[in-house]
Amino acid sequence: MARFKIPGVFVGMGVTLKYLFKKVPTVQYPVEKEVPVPRARGVIALDTDACTVCMLCARECPDWCIYIEGHKEEQPPSKPGGRARTRATLDRFDIDYALCMYCGICVEVCPFDALFWSPEYEYSEGDIGAMLHGKERLSEWLETVPDPPALES
Amino acid sequence: MTMDPRAAMHHSEVAVSVELQTPDMTLNLGPQHPSTHGVLRLVAQVDGERVESVEPVVGYMHRGYEKLAEVRTYPQITALVNRIDWTSGFANEIAFVVGAERLMGIEAPPRAQWIRLILTEMARMANHLVFVSSYPLELGATTPMFYALHERERVLDLIEGVTGGRFHPNFNRIGGVKPAAGGGSSQKKLAQDLPKGFIDETRFAMEKVFEICDTMDKLIVGNEIFRGRTIGVGVIPPDQALAYGVSGPNMRATGIDFDIRKVDDYLPYSEFDFDVPVGENGDCFDRYMMRLHEIRQSARIILQALDTLPSGPLQAKVPRIIKIPRGEIYVRSENPKGEMGYHIISEGGRGPYRLKVRTASFSNLSVLQWLLAGVLIPDIIAILGSLDFVLGDVDR
Repeated sequence: MARFKIPGVFVGMGVTLKYLFKKVPTVQYPVEKEVPVPRARGVIALDTDACTVCMLCARECPDWCIYIEGHKEEQPPSKPGGRARTRATLDRFDIDYALCMYCGICVEVCPFDALFWSPEYEYSEGDIGAMLHGKERLSEWLETVPDPPALES
Repeated sequence: MTMDPRAAMHHSEVAVSVELQTPDMTLNLGPQHPSTHGVLRLVAQVDGERVESVEPVVGYMHRGYEKLAEVRTYPQITALVNRIDWTSGFANEIAFVVGAERLMGIEAPPRAQWIRLILTEMARMANHLVFVSSYPLELGATTPMFYALHERERVLDLIEGVTGGRFHPNFNRIGGVKPAAGGGSSQKKLAQDLPKGFIDETRFAMEKVFEICDTMDKLIVGNEIFRGRTIGVGVIPPDQALAYGVSGPNMRATGIDFDIRKVDDYLPYSEFDFDVPVGENGDCFDRYMMRLHEIRQSARIILQALDTLPSGPLQAKVPRIIKIPRGEIYVRSENPKGEMGYHIISEGGRGPYRLKVRTASFSNLSVLQWLLAGVLIPDIIAILGSLDFVLGDVDR
């Protein structure tokens, strides 16, 4: 006598029945939120004090979405009798997030630690032009930069 | 004798004696159709339910990566190339960085190579999990999609935990993985090794991946409707596969045992014990099963790689400004979709003189015209979906 074989359709329905009693893995977004990992590339934060207007980030950006302007400012000598020095000051630091492809090259090439990744992601806009964020907005995000995760030995 | 088919319908006694002459109809599928994985247009000439000829029209998603690469530096190109096939971003970068490293005469340190290998296999897993769940969706089964994508999210979370990006990791650098010391000196940039807990989480995720493969076996592989729609449909014989340059799981489904991971040494695959699944019939069902088996094999490789993960630096010594000496090289890799290769021609500058990208999906799709001639209309989607292509990979 041939052994009775359960049709595949019913085996599959057994699986769906099992899943029916499992915990739902999705979260309801505006009410509950997932926490992004510390390294998540959400938005680029800027430390305006550290930036020296060296333009490395703007030059290395693969789609040239960083706009920087600056000027030289005469600094009074730090000690009496010293020499006055010029210091580059940042006038404009804009990142066009409509163009940015979140590769992280700017953060990586910055030699003065002025750029950081923040996992912040809620900055969508209704208008594409409003995606251009200036240095004020970028430095606000600096507070959301997390500490680096501990490493696997 | 020809007559108006509508007239024949009204005179039933005539209809039995006359062979119905139906005019050929042009059926336009796409360019925006959910089953085309992007924007692919198929112009099919159909005679009743039978497809006479199909002409795939590609190019709607041409972004000109080969030309873009000519005006960019080598570090910028790794950010570009992982967008070619967005379902397996990490696997796209490998062949390019290995090619650039070979031209420069350097080699990534072992730990970097191991991390590359682990993440490449994760990308393969993520890609195949999309396929094994979205292909039943195209045939009308919606359930597997939700189950498999949950496990894929686990794998993507692991990739994101290491690289910072779910889809576009941009983690490979020429000479290793993301530099241990970035431009600056702060701790925030120093920390680019594997985050703590990665190994345990990966082991757990691999268990879940084995589980979802078994679930898929029960849920869809044994399903009579699924088997009826795929077994014996869209058969590619081995000689046609070779003639059209079909590669990857599509080629192995025809019975050709060839995997670039086994024959080339772009990553240390020779250190690991894994099987290459080979099919028999080359039909849609075999192509589906190839991917399902490959997920398990990738999980096996990752588990072995975690056990043997060497310690050491992540980056070889490379100059700050990367210039590649004059020369050319072709490096191929086993992308989840098939053979992906980069032909880099360098004139000694900071960027390539020419970068030719050989993508798997384009060659896999070129067999379509031959394959779809003579099939039934519902089988178009069944065959199309089984080839596992992404339009970004076709048009680049």
